[in-house]
Amino acid sequence: MGRKNYWFLFVILFGVLSIFTITKNPFQLGLDLRGGSQLTLEVQPTEEIAKITSNEIEGVKAVLDKRVNGLGVSDSQLQTVGKNQLLLELPGEQDPSGAAKALGKTALLEFRIQKNGTDSQLRDLQTQKRSVESILKLLDENNNSAQLRKEINTNSEINNLFEKFNIKSNQILDVDQFSLLRDEIRKEIANLFETSKLTGKYLTNAGRRQDQNTNNWEVTLSFNNEGGELFADLTKSIAGTSRLLGIVIDGISYSEASVGKQFETAGITGGAAEISGDFTADEARELEVQLRGGALPLPIEIIQIRTIGPSLGSENIRLSLFAALAGLVFVALFMIFVYKLAGFVAVLALSFYALFTLSIYALLPVTLTLPGMAGFILSIGMAVDANVLIFERLKEELRRGNTLIRSIDASFKNAFSSIIDGHLTTLISCITLFYLGTGFVKGFAATLGIGVVLSLFTALTCTKAILKFLMSYQGLRKISNFINPNQISSPSINVQ
Amino acid sequence: MKPNFNVQLYKNRKIVWLLSFSLCLISIIGMLICLKSPSINAPLNLGLDYTGGTQITLERSCTDSCNSLNTSDISNNIIKLKNQDKIFSSNTSPNLTRSQIQLLDNSKLISIRLPFLSAAQSQSVVAEVNKSFGPFNNENTSVEIIGPSLGKQLLKSSLISLFFAFLGIALYINFRYDRRYSFLALFALFHDVLIVCGVFSWLGYFYNVEVDSLFAVSLLTIAGYSVNNTVVVFDRIREKSLLENKLSFKYQIDKAVDATLTRTLYTSFTTILPLICILILGGSTLYWFSFSLVIGVISGFWSSIALAPSLLSITSIKDVV
Repeated sequence: MGRKNYWFLFVILFGVLSIFTITKNPFQLGLDLRGGSQLTLEVQPTEEIAKITSNEIEGVKAVLDKRVNGLGVSDSQLQTVGKNQLLLELPGEQDPSGAAKALGKTALLEFRIQKNGTDSQLRDLQTQKRSVESILKLLDENNNSAQLRKEINTNSEINNLFEKFNIKSNQILDVDQFSLLRDEIRKEIANLFETSKLTGKYLTNAGRRQDQNTNNWEVTLSFNNEGGELFADLTKSIAGTSRLLGIVIDGISYSEASVGKQFETAGITGGAAEISGDFTADEARELEVQLRGGALPLPIEIIQIRTIGPSLGSENIRLSLFAALAGLVFVALFMIFVYKLAGFVAVLALSFYALFTLSIYALLPVTLTLPGMAGFILSIGMAVDANVLIFERLKEELRRGNTLIRSIDASFKNAFSSIIDGHLTTLISCITLFYLGTGFVKGFAATLGIGVVLSLFTALTCTKAILKFLMSYQGLRKISNFINPNQISSPSINVQ
Repeated sequence: MKPNFNVQLYKNRKIVWLLSFSLCLISIIGMLICLKSPSINAPLNLGLDYTGGTQITLERSCTDSCNSLNTSDISNNIIKLKNQDKIFSSNTSPNLTRSQIQLLDNSKLISIRLPFLSAAQSQSVVAEVNKSFGPFNNENTSVEIIGPSLGKQLLKSSLISLFFAFLGIALYINFRYDRRYSFLALFALFHDVLIVCGVFSWLGYFYNVEVDSLFAVSLLTIAGYSVNNTVVVFDRIREKSLLENKLSFKYQIDKAVDATLTRTLYTSFTTILPLICILILGGSTLYWFSFSLVIGVISGFWSSIALAPSLLSITSIKDVV
């Protein structure tokens, strides 16, 4: 075995390593292939912060990151796109509206104190709220519309509310509608309270627990030292009075609590509080997630939502993949037909190429999307092209009557500049697209770019190594294995 | 020496130009017609990705064949939501009368196109259609909502990245060859991209075929492919002009084209083979993507083997190194 055969051993070794890598590392499939939700969020400027810098984006991202983790979707991804956007991927999540709700809220937590002389107004609003809540409970328990109608028709409070918020009682009534109604009332309640210094800024943690007696969920809060002191002062100032403490999130009052006379001297110390607002388990979790993540420094708006079913189109894609593979088999047959032994070498080299590329995808890892796969299939096309360029040159050299080994060397040398130019121009566009493109285009550029680099490598090394290895066998070293002998021109006129 | 060149590009150059010119003209006319058409209002029939809006796809759970549905029934039910559902009752709520409903894959899929909705609003549309026209395989429901500003942004970023990719390629060829080559490679590239766009403008006008992000990807691929092909031919022209400088430049070009003709034909063929297989055997997802690539590869073959070299031959200067 000559020195050249080491190259061949290297190629085999790389091939084995690639197979090993591919079997060990699963491919990462994009949402378009495995289903899930993708949300694009745009950070909105406010009056105070008119220009969004990368610092602000990072701030928003940090808060959202915590909230996303709190949602409990595995493998979720949040990344910055462009100057003011964030892309959130939730694999497997089929209903993005819940996620959108939890993410989009500012979650500004405030502790407010009831304004003087608002007792009767507050009592009215609280009664209204309880009426709405009783309907909500009915809706939650069973959707018996007859019972519901009866309840609504006999409840004068609700009828007054309908009038106030301009709802016609013959409309279809559902949970969303009453939740909205409840929030409207809660907003009015919050307006009866004045703000204090204590806000969510002093929060160190949030949690949730279920009340043993009522089975309702509560959200628990703990403050840092400063917040603990503020809370103590606040509770001290209203202890034993008729004024209530309101816990307001995003301008909606979640609970209004009285502070007992026993706290008159020191207030409630220990830096802990809880919000008991008749939460369901989901609501409590949502609120906990929002509070723990802290308030968003800037509002966000959801500008794109993509929800893809897990098998929608996957059948379609399987078909296309199968078709593409069938096409490649035709390509292989074509190569062997046209280039004989060299064509066979090319097919081997291309198989190695495919192995290398796939193992890089698995290693990096590259998220495979539909355009990404298109990029892969096209990069195979480029790899074929490099081989065609070499073998056309080889044929030319042989036709001129050169010896086989010299022709092989010359063919690689002559084809080199074309191969380099073709690959580099494609690579340039890949790099540009990767930096400037978004989403779709980026994935395509990444897979095509990797393919181009590897194709350059395999065309110049693998094909050569395999060819040289085969040429070390005397029996294969025949020109007729490459072209028809009658195509060879007589050596005497080959004087270029 | 065996006169192994049958290509007479120089002699037939006017036919080449006339053909390319007519194809480009037809493409431009198609794009102008689309631009003037009130329903399209752009050179190409832009899809959801670029215009923004909501697309809901529902898969019906029927076993062998699905009975046909009346699409206007679905659209009427959606319009009724405006009065039934509180989330549609505000003044800023989207116009539900502007819906487009299609039955795909033998009525198995229902595709609903609406203006930009919120997540909750789209859920209500899904719920409504589910109630009246179900049952559906709910886990296969797909909802795409793209804000109008995002659509414009995507279009802009596609165009900007295309521009810079072209610029990068031009600079590279300029560096490796010279200005003429770089100009002609870009010229061939625009020729190919223009023809593909033209074909899709006509398809958009007559068959309502829309262009999406995948189309942008295919244009980029075609551009890369076209330049790659042209460069290979140019590389050979340069080689010939160095080796056989006794021949006049126009015959060197003919000779170079002749030498690369087989290679370009084979490469185009091996690229098209898998694409044709996808067209015939594959599903609808990649159909138009493969279609545009096939057109691009054919056009790329033509522009690199005929158009670009024949244009090079009229530049009489022979100082190419």
